[in-house]
Amino acid sequence: MNFRSLLMRDIICFSGFTMSIQSKLTSANRTGWLMALPTLSLITLFIIVPLIFAFGLSFTNQRLISPNPTEFVGWKNYYQLLDLSFVKLSPEVDEAGAAKVNNDGSYEYPRIRTLSRSNPEYEHLRGMREWTSWQLGEDRLYLMARDVVFMKAVVNTLFFVLVVAPLQGGLALALALLINQRLRGINLYRAIYFMPVVVSIVVVSLLWRLIYDANDGLLNNLLGTLSFGLIPPLDWLGSPDTAMESIIAMSIWQAVGFHMVIWLSGLQTISPTLYEAAAIEGSNKWQTFRYVTWPGLRNTAVLVLIVITMQAFALFAQIDVMTQGGPLDSTQTIVFQAVERGYGKQDISGGSTISVLLFIIVLSISLIQRYLTREKH
Amino acid sequence: MAVANPDDRGLRLFVRYLVLTLIALIFIFPLVFMVMSSLKPDLQLLTDTNSLRAFLPVGDISFENYFAAFERAPVGLFVFNSVFVTGLTVILSLAVCSLAAFSFVFLNWKGRDLMLTVILATLIVPFETIAIPLLLIASKLPWLDFDGLTLGWLNTYRVQIIPFIADGLTVFLFVQYFKDLPRELIEAARVEGATWFQIFRRVVMPLSGPVIATAAILKFLAMYNQYLWPLMVVQEETYRPVMVGLQYFFQLNRAWGEIMAYLSLITLPVLAFYLYLQKAFIASIASTGVKG
Amino acid sequence: MANLSIRKLKKSYGDTPVIKGVDIEINDGEFVVFVGPSGCGKSTLLRMIAGLEDITDGELEIGGHVVNELEPKDRKIAMVFQSYAIFPHMTVRENMAFGLTIAKASQEEKESKVNEAARILKMEHLLDRRPSQLSGGQRQRVAIGRAIVRQPSVFLFDEPLSNLDAALRMDMRMEISKLHKQLDATMIYVTHDQVEAMTLADKIVVLKDGEVQQIGAPMDLYHNPVNKFVAGFLGSPSMNFIEVRVNAVREGEVEVQSNSLDPIWIPSTIDAPTIGEQLSLGLRPQYLTLCTDTHEGKLHGKVVITERLGTETVVDLSLKDESRIIASVAEDAIFAEDQEVSLTFDPTQAHLFRDVRKSNS
Repeated sequence: MNFRSLLMRDIICFSGFTMSIQSKLTSANRTGWLMALPTLSLITLFIIVPLIFAFGLSFTNQRLISPNPTEFVGWKNYYQLLDLSFVKLSPEVDEAGAAKVNNDGSYEYPRIRTLSRSNPEYEHLRGMREWTSWQLGEDRLYLMARDVVFMKAVVNTLFFVLVVAPLQGGLALALALLINQRLRGINLYRAIYFMPVVVSIVVVSLLWRLIYDANDGLLNNLLGTLSFGLIPPLDWLGSPDTAMESIIAMSIWQAVGFHMVIWLSGLQTISPTLYEAAAIEGSNKWQTFRYVTWPGLRNTAVLVLIVITMQAFALFAQIDVMTQGGPLDSTQTIVFQAVERGYGKQDISGGSTISVLLFIIVLSISLIQRYLTREKH
Repeated sequence: MAVANPDDRGLRLFVRYLVLTLIALIFIFPLVFMVMSSLKPDLQLLTDTNSLRAFLPVGDISFENYFAAFERAPVGLFVFNSVFVTGLTVILSLAVCSLAAFSFVFLNWKGRDLMLTVILATLIVPFETIAIPLLLIASKLPWLDFDGLTLGWLNTYRVQIIPFIADGLTVFLFVQYFKDLPRELIEAARVEGATWFQIFRRVVMPLSGPVIATAAILKFLAMYNQYLWPLMVVQEETYRPVMVGLQYFFQLNRAWGEIMAYLSLITLPVLAFYLYLQKAFIASIASTGVKG
Repeated sequence: MANLSIRKLKKSYGDTPVIKGVDIEINDGEFVVFVGPSGCGKSTLLRMIAGLEDITDGELEIGGHVVNELEPKDRKIAMVFQSYAIFPHMTVRENMAFGLTIAKASQEEKESKVNEAARILKMEHLLDRRPSQLSGGQRQRVAIGRAIVRQPSVFLFDEPLSNLDAALRMDMRMEISKLHKQLDATMIYVTHDQVEAMTLADKIVVLKDGEVQQIGAPMDLYHNPVNKFVAGFLGSPSMNFIEVRVNAVREGEVEVQSNSLDPIWIPSTIDAPTIGEQLSLGLRPQYLTLCTDTHEGKLHGKVVITERLGTETVVDLSLKDESRIIASVAEDAIFAEDQEVSLTFDPTQAHLFRDVRKSNS
């Protein structure tokens, strides 16, 4: 649970607040600095310096422990991670020049390895591997990447974010609306919905490993029993088709209560007189939601979405506990890759490079949020 | 909307509660499963997943798994480490951040606005983006104590505590709260002759109960549930906290019973604490949302 | 000695001047009221005396010592705030003893001083209560008690009665007056309410836009206002002003006239009045009398609104030139709407002012 990702406050507005007490500048100066010094030094040393280091280290070949001095390598790390190339290949032709067709109707294409291994015509492809490809008529368009696993990690992370953000945000809103009724004991339900938030994601991940287990898992057995054997057991975490989705479901289960509470506080700032006015006008539930509730929630919506997005990009613990990036790299994520390199392989520079990329993504999102919630007029 | 038929009203109420309860079950079933499973021997635990028995304390119930967990891993040590690290960090964090917030709100000093802006800017930086470089830094930081000068903070308590004492969120919460205090209280104290430190200690902090609770809860959860950082910086058993201690249970044979016992052990106290103070917990989260 | 001397005191926030050169002398034991409209700088001035605001220029002397650079606690002052500013988490006793606790005074000293102050304010029975259990007036007394415990040279009051309701305000006003006599202390009191100023002060300082308009005893200011602002500020309902033309000039007198005012000679201290000059004639509503005989009247107009208050009747009249004046006549006179009315007044009770600047705001 990363609370630091919570607040995308417009920073400028804080610099503008007025001080409440004027005082003799010299003594207050000293006292002020003294009081703020511990915090300032700690934050500088443990947040600002690492951030700067991340940028700096990404241009070197730094290792965690190494007998050799660290060298400056320029953009090499970025190049290694991000280099992509498109290659269009025509199918193999027979002596007559017509395309050779296989039994199943597919075409044959030259092996990519022959191009990337040591083909002088494709020098820039050396060291790259095939990531994916698309059919274009007779030809095939190949996408080559220098670091296929990283690319997969990026895609997986994006997938996770794009699914989780609207889904978790929407479910949280639905729950908030549900909890926002005046019923006896509603607070008990609110407490229960929020409960998984308090539990560590690590505990949750391990617990759900058993629930998702292919053979003895609770989920499979329950589904089987409830459907009288119609629903077959699935290897949720072991199959590339379901692994990420399973993690998504579990992550939403754990975190939705958190955002439900944020929606709730947004809902409660909407003046009740607006609802009364709407009721007098004869508005039905949907109309009330659309014209009274939703406009008042706009800023909350942006906040919720941004927070979910930022937390989603940081996906790590679940992966580490449940799937270690597999099966078949289907659950690789950006942070997992960063940790694998920086910590696992002791490749600090590689891990830092990924960290920098992550930071740029996150910064862009927060700037977008600042833009979206800017004061109009 | 007035409902003419009283039966209708009862029915609607029933439906509402039904929906709420079904959803509540979804949120609660894994946790119940966890606790129940911790009381059962492995074999039974796994077969019980076929039915509702998974959620019931039936069969061969005992605390056997808990004892076994304690034998497999130094659970007591892990718990102590977590409590120590979390507790110390929370206390130091409250003290350090509230002091800084006080100086930002009530004192006028050169560079104040810039420093506050910088601190709040760090709210945007997710921990994951600085974890790796911080790892490098932590491995090379010096430390002076009775044994002399050592290099590197890995495998210690301090590496788990010190980097997290000061954080933008805690400072932000205190700043917001202090800003709302009536400034005349501070002025009256000044006229009465109190120094700034005395005002902090005798006037401002005693009135800060709500924000202290909020900040403490948020910090506690963040520290107790930490995983990435301790994973990387604490290899030695002596200093490992509970979340990383999980790895002990993944040796050759996967003893789910013991795992569930361990999970229950490290989670139930927090849950109990939460249920007791749930209003405060939820209010803490809500207040960060409102201020965002 | 607890006298105060303010010499050429100035304050600016950046480039914006807020206090523009103020000179005030306050004697030992005087009750001085700083009065003026919102934003005139009276509170700022008080806070500068207290040490809560920096002094940009000028000198502040308390008891013979220049205190510009001293911290509030070293100036021998005590302050009662508008919101009382008593600490919610302490008992009344702890609140009042706060300054002594900070100074690490002995238990005996604390007890004796607190009990003494409580005795003076008749609040011994409240000593162990918490502020949340007290009424507004009681909280105000705690604030005053805390000030008394400090045994200051000067008491500073910053609009202490603004947060109280009208009835309580009057009671507290009298209490503060009694306290002043009892303690024989120098008190500086800030308010925007001219009734408080008139009733409490030995000396009033009228402020506007950071500058002193006039200083003097209440009746002095009331009868001899030095400019239009002071004249219009003190007294309720406030003084009427009629734009008049100078007809003729004599030694110490000026004859003035307007569309609604018949020519009349007014004693004046205006410097070198010229014929045809525009002046403002100030007439207090209470000094306008009704004429039964229209020829006797100098002012002629029609009744617009009447307010009958029992002891007096306040009439809002529209004059010939569309301007409005207010007259406060004795007893229970009845007027019909649009009734034609003639008024007269004693010229010695009238004031003449020359507008030095444009008179808006």
